[in-house]
Parts: sequence; structure tokens; C-alpha cells
Amino acid sequence: MELKHKKLANGLNIIGEVNKDAQSAAAGFFVKTGSRDETDDINGVSHFLEHMIFKGTDKLSAHDVNRIFDDIGAQYNACTTEENTIYYAATLPEQLAGTVKLWCQLMRPALRDDDFNMEKNVILEEIAMYKDLPEFDVRESCRTLHFGSHPCGKSVLGSVESIKALKSKQMREYFESRYAPNNMTAAIAGNFDFEKICDYIESLCGNWTPKQAERKTEYFAGTGKKESQKKNNLNIQHICLMSPTVSYQDDRAYAAMLLAKIIGDEVGSRFFWELVDTAIAETASMHCEAMDGVGAFYTYVRADAKNSSKAMQIVENIFKSLNKDKITAAELQKAKNKVLSGVTIKNEIPMGRLVELGLNWVYLGKYRPIEDEIQRVKRVTLEDLQNLIVQYPPINFTQFSIGPE
Amino acid sequence: MPEKTDIYKLANGMTIIGVPVAGVQSAAFEFLLPGGASLMPDGCCGAPAVIEDWIFRGAGGKSSRELTDLLDGLGLHRGSAVESKHIALAAALEAENLLKAIELYADIILKPALEPQQFEYSKQLALQGLLSLDDDPRHKTMLLLREHFYPDPLGRNTAGKQEDLQNLTAQKAKQIFDENFSLSQTILAVAGKYDFKTLCSAGEKLFAAEKPKKTKDITAKKQSLAHHHYPHEGAQVHIGLMTGSVTAQSKDYYNARLAVAVLSGGMSSRLFTEVREKRGLCYAIGASFHSLKEMAGIGCYAGCAPEKAQETYDVIIQQFKSLADGVSEQELARAKIGLQSALVMQSESTSARSGAAASDYYMLGKVRSLDEIKQNIEKTTVKSVLEYLKNNPFDKFCSVTIGPTEIKTIQ
Repeated sequence: MELKHKKLANGLNIIGEVNKDAQSAAAGFFVKTGSRDETDDINGVSHFLEHMIFKGTDKLSAHDVNRIFDDIGAQYNACTTEENTIYYAATLPEQLAGTVKLWCQLMRPALRDDDFNMEKNVILEEIAMYKDLPEFDVRESCRTLHFGSHPCGKSVLGSVESIKALKSKQMREYFESRYAPNNMTAAIAGNFDFEKICDYIESLCGNWTPKQAERKTEYFAGTGKKESQKKNNLNIQHICLMSPTVSYQDDRAYAAMLLAKIIGDEVGSRFFWELVDTAIAETASMHCEAMDGVGAFYTYVRADAKNSSKAMQIVENIFKSLNKDKITAAELQKAKNKVLSGVTIKNEIPMGRLVELGLNWVYLGKYRPIEDEIQRVKRVTLEDLQNLIVQYPPINFTQFSIGPE
Repeated sequence: MPEKTDIYKLANGMTIIGVPVAGVQSAAFEFLLPGGASLMPDGCCGAPAVIEDWIFRGAGGKSSRELTDLLDGLGLHRGSAVESKHIALAAALEAENLLKAIELYADIILKPALEPQQFEYSKQLALQGLLSLDDDPRHKTMLLLREHFYPDPLGRNTAGKQEDLQNLTAQKAKQIFDENFSLSQTILAVAGKYDFKTLCSAGEKLFAAEKPKKTKDITAKKQSLAHHHYPHEGAQVHIGLMTGSVTAQSKDYYNARLAVAVLSGGMSSRLFTEVREKRGLCYAIGASFHSLKEMAGIGCYAGCAPEKAQETYDVIIQQFKSLADGVSEQELARAKIGLQSALVMQSESTSARSGAAASDYYMLGKVRSLDEIKQNIEKTTVKSVLEYLKNNPFDKFCSVTIGPTEIKTIQ
């Protein structure tokens, strides 16, 4: 693997990791913008804009865009989170230049009114779709409750009301302020020629004008509120818990990830033995989401209504006992082994590598080689975990549940 | 590096397949064990979902916790699934731990503890899984669609039926396990970094002593294509529909795959363009090929607001039917590129390669090379796709809807 980086005069970072043995290559744009960068009156615009990017440019219609991607044979998509909008595609190495060219063109979209009005229907359908997925719905509601008035509490999809009220002019203004080259990273991974691709990107994006695109990143520990919503059409209780932890930029992020795995990996964790092995809950898992300046442990428990109170009692006991029933060396080693084999498997595919590469640059402003990632996992000690438990006790959680109860 | 797939058969009939993947440090494996949903005796729908969990609860003299600790210690990423004919146990890990993992899986497959107390937990989990399926109407739509499309018992619900699960006893489940889990029908496929000779010696040592069992034949009932509606007070109507196609053994297989790709390969394909891009009817829309060994179908899913459900259904049917009217050279070229590049990208994943090899061997009795698949895709022409569509017209559909309103279907 060979690292390459170039920063254009307008602030656009181009980051590449070359692997000449790979069968494919992956390329994408990482835009540092998401629902936390929105105001209430335009909530959902980041995600809606992600859809609109595929509607083409002044020279390309939506169908042209879809057709070109399919001509190239690209596997492509995009996603929007609270703080990132990521466009990505994997192709055969010989098609990479065409893919990169198209992404560069699309990052300066036409945002036509007709497309905007038609796509609004699709966004409303997407909101409805997630309403029928309680696992997603409960997580979304819990995040809003946990973050309260902090910007990270904003819904990525927005609400039916905010989307219906959104005007194309507001989207254009948002685009102008957030899709500035200095707020974007172009990333490429796999089998490709960096200098060639870089020249290509520069010729297409070099004339973009930089703008100030700021973000408020104040830390927030969460509201700790507890709420539930009765839904008669559900059969089972879906419970989401959130508690604060370290940010992506914090060196302890790997310790937080391992701690979540020890407590709540799908198999072999404390949750697993107390809740799933005993069939009290169908699912119980915990993971760490380290974000820009903040972080959260997410727990999701799904149990039938008669077991849900008991399941919650057990979760609370597991959290409370972390101080006396300390994490053991064997638990830490197993978690490390699982994480390390995951790192190996994910990084064997250029698409998997692309996401790591891009996100590391967005959050850290630097390249983190795979070997560095492996060493960071290996270096975590029991003391690191214990300190984390003391500073960020998972028992201080916000709770939201939906279900028949 | 030219790829070379190795196949080795044990005297008891078990097949070991090796697919090397250049430049990787991981290995992935998949066991296909006979004992899928369609092989269950009547009244035992869901037994494989229980067994799939139960066999991991202690094996080879190790307790459930000891076994899980050992698997976790190897950094194993594991998954399992119940299919029509098989229980599939898959895992991926760093290559140096492969043989240790296969040893543990030999215990799980050949010497599971199958303790009655542990059975109760597995059964309760399967029952909860069934309940939570009701909270996931999209997933449920597709399971019900296969159940209704394929003649019984081929499409039996892999999650099970509540009454059958409630009545299932440890004794009955153990009997099912003993009768079905025959190594003569078992396939182990490994992909990634491994040494085939060492793998086969390990296979001989671990599995050869087990005698083959009598295999079971099933007779499928007559297929009946109809519409089925399930009321559900959700935000959307979930529409699933399926029409017949040819199986992987057919000479028309690649024509069928290309036809589906024209319909729903990329975002310029017909369904995405007509249903989502031009009409904004839904967010999720797509069709895909689904094959059992005995028969196959092309399934389609769309989820939309109740007031748009009828139009969505009508547009989908119209797109399926009009495919036989003509396919352009450009559409076919795009479909070919899409399938071929997806193939190359999947080839980089050791998990995808081991899964595909096991499935190929079961369906075809051989493992297709990437080159063979590429050449077959390339050989397909507009004429051959249209000929296939003429001989296998998309004119009869099985459909399932879950949601607050019903729609009028063509049956």
C-alpha cells in the first residue's frame, strides 16, 4: 500500500492509497456536512441534497447520470449521516477515470426545480419506509432525545413537515455554503495511478471557489431522559439506550470501541451471556459511535413485551457492575482478536479501504495506515478500559423505547 | 494468477472445495449442511432455526461458554442461515486460524451437546425471532412471497410457524438433527489463503469416520400462483411479486440473469427509471433472480404509501410484461458490464467466494470459474434474451402485500 496526498490551491484534499494487487478501485467524495450542520427550518436538506446530486448537472440529465454509471459498470451509492455526506463507487481499474470524472461533475449539480419536486416524493417515501423499521425508528428517536438541543439531535431524514416545506432555493443556498472545496475530500483506493487521477481531479475541480464552512463541535453529555412510545402495530419491544463517550479525534476511541464489544458484541459479550444466551432478549448489542467532538455508546435491545422489563434490569445491572466486576484480560483479548480479524477482512477490498481512508482524513486531517490501526487496537490496556468506564459510565444513559407496552 | 479451484471428496461423500484468492491474508469458509426448511417433517416448520442456534450451545465435550470463547479467541466473524435445503454455517477469519476453526466446527456439526435445557433457550429465541419478523414487514413480505411462490415444501418459511415452534420438543429436534445431518450431502467451501492439501488432511481426520446416512427425497405439491394480502397498520404498503424463471442448470440461465439486469440492474434500468425516477412512487424498488435447485423465480419488491400502491403495482407489472417487446443493444451492453464488474468485485471478498463456491457445487455439481461466467455473460445477445422471454413469458405472478390497504392484482 502506498499513500498519496495532494491539496489543491482551493483547499480540496485528494487522498489516495494505491494497491497494485487489487482487482478493483474505489473513489468517492467525502463532504463534511450532515444534519448537525442544518437549521431547524431546513432539517433533512443534507440527505435530500445527496439525492439531488444524482439528478445531474447543467449538461447531464438524471437519466444520463444513471446511464453513465451503468455504462461504466460501477457499484455506487451515497449516504448521509449527522455529520458526513459520502459519495462512493467501486469499479474495475480501467473504468476509474470515467467514474472520477463523473463524481467531479456531479459535485456541481444543476438542482433543477422539476427534479427537486419529483424527488421530494421519494424522500417522503423513504421517511415512511423507515417508520416501518422500528429498529431504525427507535434509534432515531433516542438520538433526538439524547442530544436535545445539541445539533447532533437533528434527524438525518428530516420530518414529513420539514421536507414538505423545504424550497429548492434553500437547498441551493445550503449547497453553496457546504460543498466548498475546502470542506470536501476526494479519496481513491485500490489499483490506480495517483498522479494521473490527481491531474484529472485538478482539471475538473481546480476552479471551485473556497468558502468558509464551519461547524459547531461543542461536547454534550446527553440529556439522560427516558421516554417511551406505545405502538399498537408492533409485536415486540424495541429499546435504544445512549450514553456519552469519546470523540473520533480522541486517542481513546479504540478503547471505547473495544469496551462496547466486550459489553455488547452480538456473540460472546456480557449482553450475550446474560440476555441472548438465556433467551430473555432476542437481540442485545452495543457499539460505539465516535463523532466530531462528541461520541456515544448505542445499545439496542429487542425483547418480547413480557421480558422487556427484566431485560432492562439486566442491562442496568451489567452497566452498574462494571466497576466491581472488572473487565478481564481474556475478555479484552477476545475483543481485540475479533476487531483485528475484522480489520484484515474489511481492508482486503478497496471499497472497505476507501471509507476508512476518507473518514480518517475528514476527522483527523491525516492518513492512518492499516498497521497503525492494528497497533492502536493492540495497545489498549485494561487500565484504559477502566478509566473510560469511570469517566463515561454507560449507566448514565438516555432511553427511548417503542413497542406494544 | 490463474485461478484453480480444487475439489476433494471424502469416502463418506462429503465435499471439500478450495478457492484461492490472491493477495489476501484472510480465509472464509461455508458449510452447507442438509436440514433446511423444506426437509422438515410436517408440523415442524422452524426446527432448523432452532437447531442452527442449539448446535452452538456446547459441543465435543466443551460447554457453550467454552466453545464460544474458543471461537471468539480465533477472531471468527460468523454467520448462519436457514435455507430451503440447507443450514449454512459461514465464517471469516485471519488465515492462520483456519484449521483451528474447522476443528471446532467439526465438533459443532458432529458432536453437538444438544442439551434439553439449552434447547428451551434456542426455541424461545426462534419464537421471539418470529414475533420480531412481524415488526419488519419488508423482510416478511419476501419470506411470504417465497413461501407462496414455490410449491410446498420448497418455499417453507425459514423462520418457522408459531404453532409448530411451540409444539417442538428437544427430543423431536434431536431426531430431526440425527436424521438429516448427513455428511454425504455436506459441502465445505474454503476461499482465500489456505493450503488445500493440509485442509483435506484435516477434513479426513475430522470428518471421514462419520458414516453416510440415507438421503431424503421430497415431493413438491403443485405450484399455485395467487395474490395474498396481510393487513398491517404500517406507514407503507409492501409489495412483493414473483414470476417463474429457469434454474441455474438451464442453458437459458444467463439469458434470465441478463433479462433481470435490464429490468433492475443499475439505476438506469427500467424499474428504477419508470417507478422511482419518472413517477416518484417509492424509495425502495428492485427485482432479483432467486433460484432453488428445482425451480427459480424473479422476485420484485417495492414499498410505497398506501395511495400509491395500485399505481406502483401496475407500473411494475407493465415493465415486466413489456420486456419481451424489445431490449436495446445499449441496455444489454450495460447489463453485461454491470454483471461482469460485480463479479470481479465480489471475487475480492473471501466470504463471497466461499459462499458462491458452495452454492455452485450444490446447484451444478461443479464450481464455475470467473472466466466461465464472464464468457457466458459475453455470449448472451439481444436475440437470445428475447428468445428466452418468448419461451418463458412474464405473464403469471404470485404476489404478496402487507399494509393498511389492498390492491387489485391481475390474478
